[in-house]
Amino acid sequence: MKRPFRLKSLLLTGAFALISQATLAADKVTFQLDWLPGGDKASIYAGIDQGYFADEGIEVKISQGRGSTDAISKIATGSADVGFADLVALLVARANDQVPVKAVYSVFSEAPHAFFTVKGNGINSVSDVAGKKIATSPFTSSNIFLPLLLDLNKVDQDSISLVKADPGSLAPMLLTGNTDVVISWITDAEKYRSQAAKAGKELTVMPWYDAGLKFYATSVIASERFLQQRPDVARRFIRAYNRAVEFTWAHPQQAAEAVHKQVPEVDVDVAVATINSIRSLVYNDASASAGLGNFDHQRLADTWKSTAIAQKLDPASFDPETAISREPKLAAE
Amino acid sequence: MSANTRSLENTMLKTRLKSMLRNSLPTLAMIALIPIWELVCWLFEVPEFILPRPSAIAEAFVAVEPQRWLLHLGATLYIALAGFALSILISLPLAVLLVRSEFLNKTLFPILVVIQSTPIIAIAPLLIVIMGTGDAPRLTITCLITFFPLVVSATTGMLSTPEELIELSRSLRGGAIREIWQIRLPYAIPHIFSGLKVGITLAVIGAVIAEFVAAEQGLGYFVQFSTSYFKIPQAFAALFFLSIVSLMLFKAVRWTQKIWFGWSLQKSS
Repeated sequence: MKRPFRLKSLLLTGAFALISQATLAADKVTFQLDWLPGGDKASIYAGIDQGYFADEGIEVKISQGRGSTDAISKIATGSADVGFADLVALLVARANDQVPVKAVYSVFSEAPHAFFTVKGNGINSVSDVAGKKIATSPFTSSNIFLPLLLDLNKVDQDSISLVKADPGSLAPMLLTGNTDVVISWITDAEKYRSQAAKAGKELTVMPWYDAGLKFYATSVIASERFLQQRPDVARRFIRAYNRAVEFTWAHPQQAAEAVHKQVPEVDVDVAVATINSIRSLVYNDASASAGLGNFDHQRLADTWKSTAIAQKLDPASFDPETAISREPKLAAE
Repeated sequence: MSANTRSLENTMLKTRLKSMLRNSLPTLAMIALIPIWELVCWLFEVPEFILPRPSAIAEAFVAVEPQRWLLHLGATLYIALAGFALSILISLPLAVLLVRSEFLNKTLFPILVVIQSTPIIAIAPLLIVIMGTGDAPRLTITCLITFFPLVVSATTGMLSTPEELIELSRSLRGGAIREIWQIRLPYAIPHIFSGLKVGITLAVIGAVIAEFVAAEQGLGYFVQFSTSYFKIPQAFAALFFLSIVSLMLFKAVRWTQKIWFGWSLQKSS
């Protein structure tokens, strides 16, 4: 008597298990960071923490990276589907090697490159760096744009002495007076500021976007394979990510805590300070007129033109529009 | 008689004390360095971002939760030990082949030298691109860094077997496998262990290099993470942890030799 009942219930449970698995199985997306986690990457962590991706039926796995080119090559080879990278690095990679990766969302619509110096060095604007010693790290994309910036501000390139050193040694060099100026990113300003405070000095940050360099920087990029094979996942991802960006700069504290929750090595205080200090990279005139996350045609063309000039490439040799896919963002709206 | 025993006991005690002192000298020297270091930093007001004081390093060490340390330690140990094991599995058979075959010795060895002279740190990013971001590239990097000293020491050891023994074995119709297993390999044990001792410290370096290029965990990753946030004392703390781990692994190889191949110790040292 009992056996058929048990069999039936077993079958039923099995069927339920299958159905629930089918409905619960979220689309898995691997997100490639362009560097180590921190406040500047808070948006993606906040999106996961707030359940924005889960709302869209997406499960995001974050993979840490070591630079824009590293992220681009990992996405091109299929190790990850989506990620962060500097748009300039993507344009160069596409112009030179036709890598199958496209930008789908603009995160920083102003470039984060900046001169850092300490008060008392007599440097108050970009043109004051003439005749000074400048330290930079060997592989930063900022180096590409330095000549362009100096030209724009009428600083003689031969008058400065440029030294290259490991990124970790730049702050000590600045604070010990081994160099007058360092080239860094605004995203790092808070780390420098706290170091400077310990040495009893005050940091001055001079963003290059204030000195005439106007272009796109960190963007969300995706592999062409991902965009072609899972277009619907791409749209839902962008919709969720857009909410995550808005949340991050509306609630820096909660966003920073989300990063700390997932990567305990990141301090909440430093992350909050970073999120606040880079607000102008996300919310600015460019993003206000084009709409958050959107690429404006003219600004994109200007970004490529500056890049081509700085890289000594022919600006006409490549159409930057081919490196962008606006479809997922438009469809998400 | 009793006076004699007492003086004998005295001298024995003295020699024992002396040998204890001699054995603990390296540790004592290192411990003595700490207050000197602290004092120098304090006297010359060396800023923390150049050289943190030992007390600041200790503070940074304690500030990180133990389970975080264990997580990073586990990740590094796994890569170092698995890579090392893989390297042993590859090197020893390779050494046997090199000893047995003149042809392989002439063709394969130059290739091994080329691999060894290639700076692994330079090809590490390429390995990540080729093999993805899993454990495979990290194990490969560790293996590439450790295998050469193992192959060389095992080959040298097996070649240093006295010719008479080999001839004797052949005259008694001992097969190739017995020649390797019962004569050449035992002869090579002291050499192999010197190779293993070099290898194990290199394995830790290999794991750290791999973590510098691509990792989300591990002591090497933690050093890189700390310097990127200018947390220099924390980076030093991780560094010290790394060298202690490296030292322990080195000791572990010595203990293995002492326990299972005690007879080979004299030759090796």
